[in-house]
Amino acid sequence: MKVHVNLSLCQGHARCEEICPEVFATDTVEGKCLILKDIVPDDLLEKARLVVRNCPEGALRLSRDKGAAAEGETA
Amino acid sequence: MTLLFQPPRPDHVPADRIVDFDFFHIPPGMTDPAEIWHDLRRSDVPRIFYTPRNGGHWVFLDYADIVEGYRNHEIFSTYQTPIPPIEPFPVMQPQGVDPPDHNVFRRLLAPMFTPTAVRGMVEELEKRAKALIGGFADKGECDFIQDFAARYPTGTFLYLFGLSEDRLGEFLDLAGTFFRSTDPAARAQNVVDIYAVLESLFREKERNPGNDIASAIVTARDADGNQHPWQDILNCGFLLFVAGLDTVTNTMAYIWRYLATTPAARRHFRDRLDDPDAFLRAIEELMRINAVSNLFRRVTHDCTFRGVALRKNDRVILPNTVANRDPTVFENPDMIDLDRKVNTHVTFGVGPHRCVGSHLAKREVMVSLAEWLRRIPDFELVPDSGETRAFGGSVMGFESLKLRWDV
Ligand code: SF4
Repeated sequence: MKVHVNLSLCQGHARCEEICPEVFATDTVEGKCLILKDIVPDDLLEKARLVVRNCPEGALRLSRDKGAAAEGETA
Repeated sequence: MTLLFQPPRPDHVPADRIVDFDFFHIPPGMTDPAEIWHDLRRSDVPRIFYTPRNGGHWVFLDYADIVEGYRNHEIFSTYQTPIPPIEPFPVMQPQGVDPPDHNVFRRLLAPMFTPTAVRGMVEELEKRAKALIGGFADKGECDFIQDFAARYPTGTFLYLFGLSEDRLGEFLDLAGTFFRSTDPAARAQNVVDIYAVLESLFREKERNPGNDIASAIVTARDADGNQHPWQDILNCGFLLFVAGLDTVTNTMAYIWRYLATTPAARRHFRDRLDDPDAFLRAIEELMRINAVSNLFRRVTHDCTFRGVALRKNDRVILPNTVANRDPTVFENPDMIDLDRKVNTHVTFGVGPHRCVGSHLAKREVMVSLAEWLRRIPDFELVPDSGETRAFGGSVMGFESLKLRWDV
């Protein structure tokens, strides 16, 4: 699964980083979401799903993604 | 409910949307000021209603509407919002400015309050909490508000602004009058006093900039390389002074009051002192349950919102504590579940004006609680000590909270 952030919705609550620091961090300028791994490893999937449900701005989304097709993209 | 039309009912408000509700009034015997909001929430009043009290204003009761009140700045402005109305009112930077202009000061402050920046403050915050708690731990009792919850954020303010510790008393007095005085003359003088202190502080930091927030604000340059307008600098200092004190004080008061009466919750936190994820999850739940702020907005133009006619300059209250217990968003909303997994509370607001200091505020609470429990693992309310002197308004809380413990 691939994780996306809509930075125009993100307001820097940092719930993502707090709940799943393996996948999410926050920047040092506005404190907005940084995605460290856009392809979420299977063992973190449950946590990432929880993060999506905890974002108060609805800024995060998970989508099915063939790993190979997304190889070239980085967060 | 009795209807008292002090100002005549505005003609755009239908009679069935009028409710007599005074958010400053806590009925005698009510120990928790948030209960006036929860009584409303549980009643069958319209989810968007108008009260003629305090100059007349709307109240939103659904999570979705409250969130929209925060996000939709085309309709709901943060400019000049006090209830009851006070005009003119200082335009706090960036809180009182609508997007996109709020970004000038928002971008200036944001880097100093990111989670990364706040992580750099933890050691200092711990040191301060330990010192304060150490001052009374052996006595076996304290007034939690006076001895800790008011001092701690005020001390943090001094630290962030690069001010000397011996000014604590002066700042506690300024804050005390600002938040608690009901005397109009004292209040007016107090605002003048706060601005005078800020004026000399920023002048001093302009001459001798240090590694602190006041220096960063006064030495910042706008897109054209100029200093920001002096009045905006003062207004930003004013915001930082008033925004981070009373809110943190009363959030802590609510949390300690709950822990003093709930041994299982104390144990829950004590058992998780070395499990930061679980500790934070439990703090997050207490943040949801103890949202002390009721925020104001002002309608920018005549319009219809969710089928309700609003008129330009109508005031609106967005009560966070009500949003945080909306059953369509939170499972068992009145239950305190310290392990709650999904928690999109709005205690710090949402949208472009989300509390810029939220990560600091949360950290202040976490550090305080951890240090407190290490030193004072069990504590209770002093019986019949009048902890119930509660107040309503835009920040709800208690005037005193006497705690005792075995030494
Ligand atoms: S939780 Fe949502 S709003 Fe907060 S930083 Fe993460 S993506 Fe942004």
